[in-house]
Amino acid sequence: MTIYHLFGPVISLCLLAAASVASAAGDTVRKDEKTCFESRKGLSQVRKHEIEPGVMNVKCSPITGGVLFWGDPFDGTIPMGDMPVEADYSHEEAVVKPREPQIDRNKLLTICAMACHNGEYVPYPENKLARPLRMHKDIVPDSMQLKHGKGAIWCLDCHHAVTRTKLIDHYGNEVSFNQSQKLCGKCHGQVYRSWRNGIHGKRIGMWRKGGKKRWWTCTECHNPHDVEQGGRNSGFAQLNPEPAPMLPKGMSNADHERGHGEEHGR
Amino acid sequence: MSKEETKVKGPNGTSRRDFLRKAGSYTAASLSGTAMLLSDPKPAKATANVSWAEHFQKNYRLMTDEEKKEAVTRLEHRYSEEFGKKVEVDDAPAMDGVLFGYALNIQKCIGCRRCVKACVAENNQSRGENQQIEWIRVLRMEKGKFSAEDRDRQGYPEDYGVQVGGNAYKPAGVVLEGQHYYEPDLVPEKDAFYLPMQCMQCEKPPCVKVCPVRTTYRDPDGIVVIDYNWCIGCRMCIGACPYWARRFNWGEPDLPAQEMNPDTHYLGNRPRMKGVVEKCTFCVQRTRKGRWTACVEVCPVGARKMGNLLDPESDVRKVLASKKVFRLRADLNTYPKFFYFME
Amino acid sequence: MKRFIQFVIDFLRSGFTGGVLFWAWMLFLSFFIMLWGYGEFVQIRDGMIVTGLNDQVSWGFYLANFVFMVGVAAAAVTVVFPAYVYKHRELHRIVVLGEMLAIAAVIMCLLFVTAHMGRPDRLWHIFPVIGIFNWPHAMLTWDVLVLTGYLLLNIVGGFYFLYKKYSDAELNKAFYLSVVYIAIVWALSIHTVTAFLINTMPARPMWFHSMMPIKFITTAFAAGPSLIIIVFLLVRRFTPLKIADEAFHVLSQIVVWCLGIALFLTLSEIVTELYPSTEHSLGLQYLMFGHHGLNSLVPFFWTAMVLMIGGFILLLIPKVRKNLMALPFICIAVFIGIYIEKGVGLMLPGVTPTPIGEFAEYTPSSIEFMVVGGIWAIGFFILTVLIKGASGVLLSEVRYTEKASPSIRGEQTRPATI
Repeated sequence: MTIYHLFGPVISLCLLAAASVASAAGDTVRKDEKTCFESRKGLSQVRKHEIEPGVMNVKCSPITGGVLFWGDPFDGTIPMGDMPVEADYSHEEAVVKPREPQIDRNKLLTICAMACHNGEYVPYPENKLARPLRMHKDIVPDSMQLKHGKGAIWCLDCHHAVTRTKLIDHYGNEVSFNQSQKLCGKCHGQVYRSWRNGIHGKRIGMWRKGGKKRWWTCTECHNPHDVEQGGRNSGFAQLNPEPAPMLPKGMSNADHERGHGEEHGR
Repeated sequence: MSKEETKVKGPNGTSRRDFLRKAGSYTAASLSGTAMLLSDPKPAKATANVSWAEHFQKNYRLMTDEEKKEAVTRLEHRYSEEFGKKVEVDDAPAMDGVLFGYALNIQKCIGCRRCVKACVAENNQSRGENQQIEWIRVLRMEKGKFSAEDRDRQGYPEDYGVQVGGNAYKPAGVVLEGQHYYEPDLVPEKDAFYLPMQCMQCEKPPCVKVCPVRTTYRDPDGIVVIDYNWCIGCRMCIGACPYWARRFNWGEPDLPAQEMNPDTHYLGNRPRMKGVVEKCTFCVQRTRKGRWTACVEVCPVGARKMGNLLDPESDVRKVLASKKVFRLRADLNTYPKFFYFME
Repeated sequence: MKRFIQFVIDFLRSGFTGGVLFWAWMLFLSFFIMLWGYGEFVQIRDGMIVTGLNDQVSWGFYLANFVFMVGVAAAAVTVVFPAYVYKHRELHRIVVLGEMLAIAAVIMCLLFVTAHMGRPDRLWHIFPVIGIFNWPHAMLTWDVLVLTGYLLLNIVGGFYFLYKKYSDAELNKAFYLSVVYIAIVWALSIHTVTAFLINTMPARPMWFHSMMPIKFITTAFAAGPSLIIIVFLLVRRFTPLKIADEAFHVLSQIVVWCLGIALFLTLSEIVTELYPSTEHSLGLQYLMFGHHGLNSLVPFFWTAMVLMIGGFILLLIPKVRKNLMALPFICIAVFIGIYIEKGVGLMLPGVTPTPIGEFAEYTPSSIEFMVVGGIWAIGFFILTVLIKGASGVLLSEVRYTEKASPSIRGEQTRPATI
C-alpha cells in the first residue's frame, strides 16, 4: 500500500512528462493547418482527414481555421447516450462528438485522476467551499476568480471530487464530460429546455424530423470557467472574424461608414 | 446509417451516380476531356463548351420531366469535364408537405462571418480578385454613445440658444445604418451587435413579380429559385429586392476547380455563367435531401435555425412559438420566411 | 407596292444626300458608332464587369440615359398635340418632324436597354410565344409593350403621312387621325410606365412616390421641346423648309411651363424628404450634400439646378423667350440640366444607399461612355437621315413620278447644305 502511495505519483509524473511532449508535438501539427476548430478555438479541434476519395471530413477557413464545411456531419461522433428527459433525441438518432478526448487531449485528466486525485493520495476536501489551492496555481491560475456564478459556485460544484474524469449532478451522480448538459441543466433549466427543443445551441446533420442529428453540448460553445467573458458578459469567447467583403468597385476604402453618429444632427 | 442518409437518391431509389453509369453517359470524349483537365489545373472557361441545346432549352419550370433529365445530364457532363471531377446536378423538386423557414437568433450572433464564407464554399460563388460574390451580408450595428455633455449641447444653429426641432448634436442609442466592412481583430465587440442578412425567401417576393421572363419563381416549398439559363440579366429583381439579397455575375465567375463543390442542384449551387443573377436558395441542394443549410451548420454559436414551417415540432416553429420574433421590413408585406429572434 | 418600294428608296436617297458638312457630320457620328460597336463587343465578351456597375449600384449610366430618352421620345407629343388638338397651323406643317424625333429616340431607348442587359443573347426569352412574357405582372413587360407600340405608331403615323404626301394622295383622315390621337395618349403612357417601372419598388424609397410619373412627364416636356427647338432651328438653318417663328414660340412656352412645374415638383420633393429627414431621404441627401465625404454627385445636382432654374427664369421673360438667337442656348442649358437631374441624378441616388444602407460611389467606365456616346450617335444618325428625308418630302422635293427613275427634284439645282 505504502509502496503504491510512493510510486504511483512518480510513475504518473513520468507519464505527465511524456504527455506534455506529446502535446507540444500536437501544437506543431496545428500550425500545419491539419486541424481546425468547430466552435471554441483550441477547445473543439477537429483533425482533417479524408473520409472517402476526394472528400475531406471538413473544409476549413484558411484565415481563421474555423470549420466551413462538414463532408460528413457525423464523422467522429458517438451516440448521445441516455438522457433523463424525453425530447427529439429520444426518437431520432442523436450523436455527439465526445468531449472527453478533447478535454483530455494531453492525457492530463487521466493521469492526474489516476495518480493523485484518486480520493486517497490527495486528501478528499472537507467541503465544496472555495479555498486557496495549495498546488497547481499554474494550471488553474484563476481558481479564486472563476467567472461562473459570481463566486457562488466553485470547482467541486461541477467536478467530481474523487473521480476527476467526471462531472457531478445535484445528487452527486457522475456525469460524463460528453454529457455536460446534464450538469449545466441543473441550474440553467430554461436554456436546457430550449436546448432539448433544438432552439438553443447547435445541431448539424438532417433537419427532418426523425433524421440523424449531431448535437453540440454546452462546453462545445461555452467556456464553463469563464462564461461571462469579462465585461462583455456574452457567453462566447471572442473569435477572429472572417475577412470583410470585397469593397464595391470604385471604392478604395469604407471610411465613410465608420464614425457613425457624429454628424447625425446635421 | 449516416452514409445512407447523406447519399443522393434519384427518383427511383437509384443514386444519380448509378443512373449516369447505366446511361453510359461517360463517353470516351468526356473522359479524355476530364483527363486533359486533370493534367491542367487551370479551370476551364465556362462558356467554352456550352452546347446549342443548352442555349435553346426551355424555361426549367416548363420542361417535361424528360427534358429536365436531359438538361441535367447535359450539365453534369459539361461540369464534370470542366472541373475535372464527377459533378452531380440534382433536380429534386419541392418536397411535399414542406415549407421552409429560417430563424436567426440575433442575440447570439457574434459577427464572425463564418456563415458568409461557408456559403461561398458550399454554393460555388465566384471568388478571386475580380469578383467575390457573397450571398450573406453581416451588418455591424453600433450601439451609439451616450454622454452627459451631449445631452445639454445645443442643437444647430447654436446662436439661437434653443435646440432646433429638439435636435441634439449627437444621436443617442443604436445607429441604424449598419457597417458592412468592419474588421476588428476579435468579435463580438463590446459596443456592437450584428445583423446577418440574406435572401428572406419571401412568400410575396417582389423580385418574382418584377421578373419580365419569370426566370425567378417561388417553388412550392417556399424557396425562391432562379433558372440561371433563362435569366436575361435585366436586374429588375436586384432593384426590387428590399433586402439586397441578389447578386449579379458581372464577369465570368471565377471558381477554381479544386474548390468547386460537386454536389449541386439545377436551381441551386451549380456553377453559374456571366450575366445572370443569383442568390441564397436555402442550399436547395442540401435541404431537399433533408440536410441543414451550410450556414446553419457552421454557425459557431448556433444562432441559425432552419426547418419546416408546416411541422409544429420543427425548430423554426418552436422558435416562433416560444421566442420574440420579428421580420425585416414587415411593412412591405413581403412576408419573409426568415425570422429574427431573441430569448 | 412598287410605289412603296420606290418611296423607301427615294426617302433614303434624300436622307443620305448632302454636302461636305453633311458627310462630315455623318463621319463624325460614325466614329462614335464604331466606338459603340467596340464597347458592346467588349461588354458581351467579358461581361458587364467592364462597366463601373456593381452589386451596390447595379443600375447606372445606361438606364439613366434610357429614362431620359423615353422622355424625349414622349415629348414628340408637344408638337403633335398643339398641331392636332389646338389646330396650330405652323406646328401642323412640321408635325411629322416630331414623329421622326420620336422614332430615333425610341430606337435609342431600346439600344440603352439592350446595353443594360447582362445576357442580350437571351433577348428572345422575353418575346411572347417563343419565350415567356411576364405580363401583366412585370412592369418591364409593360414598358416593352408601350415602347414598341409607340415606335410602331410613330412609324405608321409618320410614314403614312409622308407616303401620302410623296404620292400626292389624299390622307385617309379617319385612319390617320386615329393613329395620331392614339399616339398622343400613348406618348404619355410610355413615360408613365417608365416611371412606374422604378417607382413601384418600395425597396428604393427615393423613387417610391406617386409624384414620379408626373415629374417624369413635366421634365420630359421641358427637355423634349428644348431638343425639338434646337433641331427645328437647325432644320430651318440648313434646309429650305420654312418653320415659322410662331412654332418656336409655342414650343418655348411649353418648355417654360413644364419646366416651372418640374421645378415646383422638385421643390416639393425636397421639402417633403428633408423636413422629416428620415432614413428614406438618405438618397436625396446623398445627391444634394454627399454622405461622409462621398460627394461625387453633389456638383452635378447643383449644376443641374442652376441650369434649370436659370433657364426657367430667362424663359419667363417674353423678350428672351422670343429671341431665337438666345433661345437655343437656353434650350441647351435646360436640356443638359434635365439630362443630369433625370439621368444620373435620379438613377444613382435611387440605388444609393442600397436597401440595407450601403453607400458606394459609381463612375461609369470608359466602355460605358463609349456605348452611351455611340447610342447617342446612332440616334443623331437616324434622326439626321429621317429629318432630311422627311423635309425632302415636305418640300415636295421627293415625289413619286410615274417613271421609276430617280425622282429627287431639285437635287442638282439646290445641293442640300447639311
